Amino acid sequence: MNSLGRAALAAMLIVGAGTARAQITTVVAPPPKKTEPAQQAAAQQREQAAQDSVARVTMTGMKEWVDSASGALAIRPDTVPTTADTALSTPRAATSASPQSDSSATARRSEPAPEFRSGTRAPDTATAVPAIGLAGVALLLMGVALTRRERARVRVRR
Amino acid sequence: MMGRLARLSFNGRRAAGSALIICGALLLVVSLASIARGAIARDAARARWAEIEARRSVAGARSSTPGARWSDARGTPIARVIVPRLGLDEVVVEGVGEDELRAGPGHMIGSALPGDSGTSVISAHRDRHFHALRGVAVGDTVVTESERGTVTWTVSRIRVVRADDSALDARAAPTLMLTTCWPIRYVGPAPDRLIVEARPVTN
Repeated sequence: MNSLGRAALAAMLIVGAGTARAQITTVVAPPPKKTEPAQQAAAQQREQAAQDSVARVTMTGMKEWVDSASGALAIRPDTVPTTADTALSTPRAATSASPQSDSSATARRSEPAPEFRSGTRAPDTATAVPAIGLAGVALLLMGVALTRRERARVRVRR
Repeated sequence: MMGRLARLSFNGRRAAGSALIICGALLLVVSLASIARGAIARDAARARWAEIEARRSVAGARSSTPGARWSDARGTPIARVIVPRLGLDEVVVEGVGEDELRAGPGHMIGSALPGDSGTSVISAHRDRHFHALRGVAVGDTVVTESERGTVTWTVSRIRVVRADDSALDARAAPTLMLTTCWPIRYVGPAPDRLIVEARPVTN
């Protein structure tokens, strides 16, 4: 490669370094070293010990989570319960905020609705549907009347 | 010149008439679509209620457990309210959000189930499910069916309050409150609420 080519290559590297940063910073992993059987056994033991400790930590966390969640979560299966699971019964107030397991189409989430407490306002049961329908009928009638009137005018002129 | 102006005026009025027809038709379609969605949701709630009742009766026949627990997810049918004199017979769904009230009267989350001790609040639109409440009177009989069983109530008080009044109070005794917008026979804003209170009939 002549000097001109080398200079061009260097310029491309300098200019393209900003945009092609990922390519330049790629790390090539070294080939795995061959280890002795004793070292492999020791590594396996260390890995096993680490897994055991992780499992202990996880189980401890699970216990705390279950203890804390038992008061807040509710199990309200949609299926009909048997006599044995009556112990799972929880107050309705606690279950209202629980995750929903109902997969029916009617069990949709909507915007936050008021919840009952003493001194609550009556829910907003007003709907604009009748007013919209009435406005539609009124506009339709006005439009029909206007169109007919113009047609009648044209006929009279003719 | 005058002829051109007259033609332009004619075209303008004709276009305005067409625009009014199109807008009116669109509003009608929106309104009818909402009504149709409500009817579909209501049918779905009724079908689901029938399914729940059937499962409950089967479970009752199989075990000695009095009543079976039902799901209380939003939109799930949880009760049925009947006012025989007014011909009102509706399936009550859980929640009083827009989607729930489209399907039927909604049970306010946090309030008691009909038949439990405490105040049970059931609300519905005045132009749909609770339109019949325009003729309600003190002494009328209301029947509710829920997982707590069938309860017969008597209307004890009817009142109209402002929409922003804190009118719903929690009580220890079983109380049923049916609420809707007031005035019922009116199209437009609803500044007031109708609250029908009922107490269980004790034999």
